[in-house]
Amino acid sequence: MQATLDPKPSSPAPSAEVSVAIRDLCFNYGSSQALKDITLDLHKHEVTAFIGPSGCGKSTLLRCINRMNDEIPGTRVTKGSIHIEDINIHDPSVDVVKLRRDVGMVFQKSNPFPKSIYENVAFGLRMRGVKDKQVIDQAVEESLRSAALWDEVKDRLQESALGLSGGQQQRLCIARTIAVKPLVVLMDEPCSALDPIATAKVEELVWQLKNDYTFVIVTHNMQQAARVSDRTAFFYMGELVEYSDTKRIFSNPRVRKTEEYISGRFG
Amino acid sequence: MPDDANRNVPKSHRFRKQGFSFERLIRYFFASNAGLTIVILVLIIVFLLKEGLGFFPGYRRELETYRIAGLEFVDISRKNLTAHEQLVSLLNRAYYAEINGRSYQQLRRSEEAAALFNAYTDQTGPTKELILNSTQEGQEAQPAMLAVLRENYEKQRAKALANLPATPHLSAKEREEIISALRTRTPQATDDPALVTRLAEELASTQARHAEPLQAFRATIDSFESASADLGSAIMEMTESVTSTKEALQNADILEKDRRTLLAAANNVDDPAEREKLLAEAKAALAEKPDTETPMASLMERKPDCIRLHEELAKSSAAILPQLPKSLAQGEADRLLRTAKKAWPVFLSDLSAAPAKISSWTHTTPVPLSAAVVSFLTGRDWITGGEWQDFYGILPLATGSLMIALVALTIAIPVGIGSAIYVNQFASPREQAIVKPVIEFIQAIPSVVLGFIGILVFGTVLRELSVMDSLQWVPGFPIEERLNIFTAGCLLALMSIPTIFSLAEDALNNVPSAYAEASEALGASGIQTTFRVIIPAAFSGILAAVLLGLGRVIGETMVVLLVAGNRIKIPDFSAGFGVFFQPSHTLTGIIAQELGEVPLGSVHYRALFVVGILLFVVVLGINATAHRFVNRATK
Repeated sequence: MQATLDPKPSSPAPSAEVSVAIRDLCFNYGSSQALKDITLDLHKHEVTAFIGPSGCGKSTLLRCINRMNDEIPGTRVTKGSIHIEDINIHDPSVDVVKLRRDVGMVFQKSNPFPKSIYENVAFGLRMRGVKDKQVIDQAVEESLRSAALWDEVKDRLQESALGLSGGQQQRLCIARTIAVKPLVVLMDEPCSALDPIATAKVEELVWQLKNDYTFVIVTHNMQQAARVSDRTAFFYMGELVEYSDTKRIFSNPRVRKTEEYISGRFG
Repeated sequence: MPDDANRNVPKSHRFRKQGFSFERLIRYFFASNAGLTIVILVLIIVFLLKEGLGFFPGYRRELETYRIAGLEFVDISRKNLTAHEQLVSLLNRAYYAEINGRSYQQLRRSEEAAALFNAYTDQTGPTKELILNSTQEGQEAQPAMLAVLRENYEKQRAKALANLPATPHLSAKEREEIISALRTRTPQATDDPALVTRLAEELASTQARHAEPLQAFRATIDSFESASADLGSAIMEMTESVTSTKEALQNADILEKDRRTLLAAANNVDDPAEREKLLAEAKAALAEKPDTETPMASLMERKPDCIRLHEELAKSSAAILPQLPKSLAQGEADRLLRTAKKAWPVFLSDLSAAPAKISSWTHTTPVPLSAAVVSFLTGRDWITGGEWQDFYGILPLATGSLMIALVALTIAIPVGIGSAIYVNQFASPREQAIVKPVIEFIQAIPSVVLGFIGILVFGTVLRELSVMDSLQWVPGFPIEERLNIFTAGCLLALMSIPTIFSLAEDALNNVPSAYAEASEALGASGIQTTFRVIIPAAFSGILAAVLLGLGRVIGETMVVLLVAGNRIKIPDFSAGFGVFFQPSHTLTGIIAQELGEVPLGSVHYRALFVVGILLFVVVLGINATAHRFVNRATK
C-alpha cells in the first residue's frame, strides 16, 4: 500500500471518451467551502461512483453537474469549471432548463409525481412540447422496458404512480429520466431507501443501461460501488482524495485515507 | 404467578400508586375545558332546534287561517292583477325610454342647464327665503339686518358660481349665458333663467314631436291599462270582507290563548276562592267561534263574477299583443318591449288557468304540515308584519346570498389564488415579506368598518362611474341603487381574499419540494413546474381554500346588511347582467335586521331561527367538504 497524496486520476482506459470534464472546481455554501479544487473526468458508457463520508461534498458535486444547486440561495461556484461537450455549463449564456434536459437526475427518495404511471414517464417529453401521442406512447413503453418495469405495470399505466412499491417507484423515476434520452444520468444515493431485493434490481438496471449513458452514482454503500461502477472517486472534506479504477480502489488503494474508509475505520 | 395475582402492593412500598396526583388534576382541568366547549355547542344546537322547529306548525296554522278566511281565494285573482300591472309598467317604461332616447341631446342639455340653476338655488335658497321674509311682511325691515343678509347672499352666490357642475352637452356660450343670468339674479326673481326655460321648452317640444309617431302605441297601452279596472274593483271589495274575517279569527285565537293561561293559573292556585275567580274569568274569555261560513258563502257567490272578469281580461289582453309595435328604435326601449312580449304568453296562460283554479277552490281543503315546509323553502315572498298575510319564503333571501357569493367568489378566486401562486412560486423573499402580511392584514379590518367604506366610497364611486357617457356600454349602467349586489359582492371578495390566499398558499407550500426538484431535473421551466406539477398537486388544498372562502362569504353578516341594499325581492333577471346592480337581502342580513324587533315566540321569530338553522347546516356542510379536501391533500 503506497501512501501517495496525488489525487490526479489515473486513466485505466484511455480509449474511453470523456463526457463531463470537471476542472479545479471550487464551490461555496455561503462562506464555507464545500468543494476544493476538484478535477475529474466522467467517461461515456461507464458508471462512476462517488463515495465518501457524510458531508464530504459528493452530493454537492453531483448537483453541480446539472446545476440543481442554483436553487439553493447563497451557493456559488467560486473557481473552476464543468464542461459537457466542451461547453462550460456555468457560462451565463447557458439555459439551465435546456442543460437539465441532457443531464437527468434520480433522487435519494423516489419522487414520482402524483399522476399516473404513464404521465410520469411522459412528463419530460411533454415539457419539451412533444404532442404526438404515438411518439409519447412509444417512448413510454421503451423507457419502461429499459427500466425493467414494463411487465409489472403495462396493465395499469393509467393508475397513480403512488400505488407502486418503493423499488418500483425508484425504477419509475429512472424510466422517467431516461425517457428523454439524456447524455448523463446522475443518481443521488438511489437505493438508500430500498430493501436489498429492490436494490439489486436497480443495480442490475444501471449495469444494463450504462452502454447508452454516462452514469454517476453517489452511494454510501461500499459494496454497491464495487458492484456497479467502473470507476470510483473517494471524497473527503470537500476534496477528491483518490479517483481510479473501481477494482484498483477496492483492492489496492493508493491513499491511506481511502483504505481506512473502505475498510470501515471511519465514515 | 397465580399466587401473587391477588396480593396487593404493600401500602408503604415505593411502587404503590398514590391516590392523588398533581398530574391528574391538570389532566382533569384540561379535559373539563374541552368538554365545556362541546357542551356549549350541543346546547346551541338544541336551542336552535327547539326555537326553530316550532315554526312549521305555527306557520301551518297561519296558512290555514289564510285559507279559511278566504285570503287565498282573493290572491288567485290578485296575482293576475299584479302581473297585469307589471306588464303595464314595462310598456310605459318602454314608451318613455323610446321618447327620452330619441330626445337624448335635448334631455341632457335641459338637465344640465337645470343642474346649473339648481346648484345656484340650493346654495342661495335659505338666504333668499330670509331676505324675502324680512322684506315681505310689511313691517319695518331692519336695514342693518337686511344689509347683512344681502352680503350673505352675495357670498353664497360667489360660492355657488365657483362650484358649478360640468355641462358637456352645452356650448360654452350657452353655459356663459346661464352663469351671467345667475350672476345678476336678484333674490326677488321668480322666473327661471331664460335659457333654462327655453331648453326645457325645447325638450318638451322635442318629446312631443317624438311622441307623435308613437300615438298608436300610447293608445294601446292606455286601453290595456284600463282593461283590468273591473277586476281591480272586484278584488278590492272581496279584500275588505276577507280581511275582517281574518281579524275575527285572530281575535278568537288571542282570547283562546288568554283562556288557557287563566286555566293554567287556576290549576296552580291553592286558595279555592281565588281559583273560582280565575275559572270564572276564563269562562268569560271563552270566545264564541267566529262565523266564517257566512262571509265565505258570499265570497263563493262571487266565483262566476271573478271567472267572467278573468275571461274578459284574457280576451282583451290577447287582442292587445298584436297591436304592440314590432320593435322600437332605442336599445333600452326595445329591450323593455321585448321583455314585456316575452312575459305575455305566461300572463295569458295564467289568466286562462285562473277560472279553473277559482271554481275548484274551496276553503275546506286541509293544510298539511308539508305545505308549510314547501312554502318556506320555495316561497318567493318574505313578507312580514303586513296587513294582508305574512309569508316566510326564503327564496328571495337565498337568491340574494347566492348572487352576492357568486360576485364575491368571481373576484376573490382569481385574485386570492393568483396572488398565492405568485407569492409562493415566483416572488423574491423580500416581496413575500411585504405581500403576505399586507394581504393577511385585510382580515384584521372589522367588517363594519369595511361596510361603511363600502357605503361611502365604493357605492358612491360606482354610482358616479355608472352615469359616465363613456361607460354606458357596461350592462346594467347607469345603476339605480348605490347599494346593490355588486357592491356587497366586491366587499365580501375583499374579505374572503385573505382566507383564500392564506389557505391556498399553505396548500402550495405543502407540496413536497421533491416534486419541484424532480420536475426541474427533468428539464421543466419554472412556469411549467408551477402549472404542471405544483398546482395539480395542491389542487385539492386550493379547492378547500375556495370552499372555506365561500363559507366565509355566506356566513358574513355585517357587510351585506350595510351594503347589499336590503330589498327583499328576487332580483329581476330580465335585466341581464344589470341584475347584479340591483339591491338584495340575504339570509344572514335578515336575521340581524329583524330578530331584534320580533315578538318573542311569534311565528316570525321562529322563522328567523329556521333561517339560522339553514345557514348553520349550509356552512357546516361547506366546511366539512373543505376539510375532506384538506385531509386528502395532506395525506
